Amino acid sequence: MRQRVLRIVSDVLGEPIDQLNDGSSPDTVDKWDSLNHMNLVLALEEAFGVQFTDDQIMKLLSVEAIVKALAEVVPATDDAAG
Amino acid sequence: MMVAQREGADGAEQREVKGGVGSKSLPSLSYLQRWGASMLPTLPVLNVTILRNVVLEPIVPYLRYLSWQEGFNAACTFGGYDLVLQDAVGGAPGLLNESTDCVLVFLRLETLSPQLAFGFAGLSAETARQEVQRIREAVVATIAGIRRQTSAMILWHSFELPLYPALGTIDGQRPGEGQTGAVRELNDAVADALHQTRNAFLVDLNRCLARVGADDFYDARYWHAAKAPYTLQALREIAFEDMKYVRALKGRARKCLVLDCDGVLWGGTIGEDGLAGIRLGTAFPGSAFLEFQQEILNLHHRGVLIALCSKNNAEDVWAVFDQHPDMALRRAHIAGARINWTDKATNLKEIARELNIGLDSLVMLDDSAFEVNLIQEFLPEVTVIGLPAGRPSDYRSILAGCGLFDTLTLSVEDRARGALYQIEAARRQVQSESGDMESYLRSLEMALDIRITDDFALPRVAQLTQKTNQFNLTTRRYSDEDIRRLQERDDADVVYLRYRDRFGDAGIVGVCILLYAGETVAFDSFLLSCRVLGRGVERAFLAQCLARAAKRGAVSAIGEYRSTAKNAQVREFYASSGFSAVRDESQGDRYRIDLVDAPPAGDVFRIETDLV
Repeated sequence: MRQRVLRIVSDVLGEPIDQLNDGSSPDTVDKWDSLNHMNLVLALEEAFGVQFTDDQIMKLLSVEAIVKALAEVVPATDDAAG
Repeated sequence: MMVAQREGADGAEQREVKGGVGSKSLPSLSYLQRWGASMLPTLPVLNVTILRNVVLEPIVPYLRYLSWQEGFNAACTFGGYDLVLQDAVGGAPGLLNESTDCVLVFLRLETLSPQLAFGFAGLSAETARQEVQRIREAVVATIAGIRRQTSAMILWHSFELPLYPALGTIDGQRPGEGQTGAVRELNDAVADALHQTRNAFLVDLNRCLARVGADDFYDARYWHAAKAPYTLQALREIAFEDMKYVRALKGRARKCLVLDCDGVLWGGTIGEDGLAGIRLGTAFPGSAFLEFQQEILNLHHRGVLIALCSKNNAEDVWAVFDQHPDMALRRAHIAGARINWTDKATNLKEIARELNIGLDSLVMLDDSAFEVNLIQEFLPEVTVIGLPAGRPSDYRSILAGCGLFDTLTLSVEDRARGALYQIEAARRQVQSESGDMESYLRSLEMALDIRITDDFALPRVAQLTQKTNQFNLTTRRYSDEDIRRLQERDDADVVYLRYRDRFGDAGIVGVCILLYAGETVAFDSFLLSCRVLGRGVERAFLAQCLARAAKRGAVSAIGEYRSTAKNAQVREFYASSGFSAVRDESQGDRYRIDLVDAPPAGDVFRIETDLV
């Protein structure tokens, strides 16, 4: 899942994937502005087929936080797929 | 549909698109973001300006992808958030100028008037009326302001009707009353203002909303978190809808629908099941095919040519057309047919040649995945729609929803086009009977009407510059507005040609634009619909235009040929009409003639003109 998240962050922000890590956030990536954050949330929800809660949307401000939030909402699908 | 094969798309995404129709067939956002980075920069640019009072930036990848499918590199620029009126009325040269192709306006009531959108029940009738009036004036000022700055196409997105109107069940019970009535009134006012503005159209968001469904159209989380009311699904549908107008604006509306027969026009196989055995009629399951045929007929009446391409015995298929009592489609509606056992790629090429249109003007509908793949492989220019096996009940909406045939105007010529092609078939019949060309041409009793473009002819003249590809010397595309400006110039003549003969009236089929500079006249544009070629019309038209130039005092004329992928047939037109090539020009091929040497119009035509 981490790898898919990095891929999507890279696609949406137009930042090479090898420049991204768990700590990547709006503070470390220039293109991660509020508008691109919106695009990122939309792309993540579409790719994983999930809907974040209002609170989660505000907190998805690093790769690590995104992976953590996704783990909360998608474990069931991952198990089913495995 | 065209797929992203040029870009080396990954397999999964590509399968998603292939054969898909409608906004649901668009790839995912993250895929498009990646794809966008690698997009070919060589395509002509389509400048799109988006004025809005909501956040809808994620629409851009969809607009770019759909534009790319039509051969354009869309460059999208946004006006500031909630600065629509300032940009439109105050002026915004960076956003609105003469290189703008299209302006998308999204003025959402929720931002424009929170009172009307959220607090309607608390408003007095008088306050509500004043507020509606205020919005109405803002709309009119915005449209006028945009038009002052650019002649680009304006696409205004309507106000959405409230899902849960402020007064509940009684809202709008009486026409014009309640929140529903207020929104309807505003939409009517917008439609009126747009209708009085050239090149401006209403995009009905309520229809997009209905197609997607409200639960999938809105996401209140994004509205509150980022003032972004629409879901990706909604933006996909809106981009898809907008693209119908852009396609028409850019002359990319398809011209001919080519149909497979078995499993498409009726259920079953005519060769095996026989006339009485195929499924077609008012009762299920034949009713799905009948409804589909009625939609095909609608396209016929809108000027789309209908052709058949089927692996079958021709007599079996024609027996259905001539004898089956439940066929809505008849032989008379068919402009061309290839019913044989040859491969469909070859047949489609022949159909395009016979109808004198490009392969990229064809849309093929087929229920066989094999045929769909074969055509996509060998004729990527042709748009192929694969109909879903076993779901004929979906055929009608697939065709009606594809939007590939949409136009911005519907001329008299469009409505009669199907009949014109049948007349053409009759002409060919006479030609084969009469033997030599000269007596054939005389037997046609051809008459040409060559005149300066007036307001009645203007839309058709503009349409011809947008749609004509093959017999078109310079392929300059002009909007209604462009033509109007040319009309108003003292140093320009916009000339049209109307053709008729004993088989019928072909309407306006030729355009010539002359620009005068001193004693020289330049042929800015010279084009003819392919329907009237091969009988000397082009020479007579040219001769009349040269005579016009001479009358206005010109002594020499310059003809120009600008090469495109489709107009090779006219490369030598000026050279073969008595012009000589001008060598020292760097841009394109130019030809010159002294007007005293101009060729005569010939005497096989009866010519009526106000030019000389």
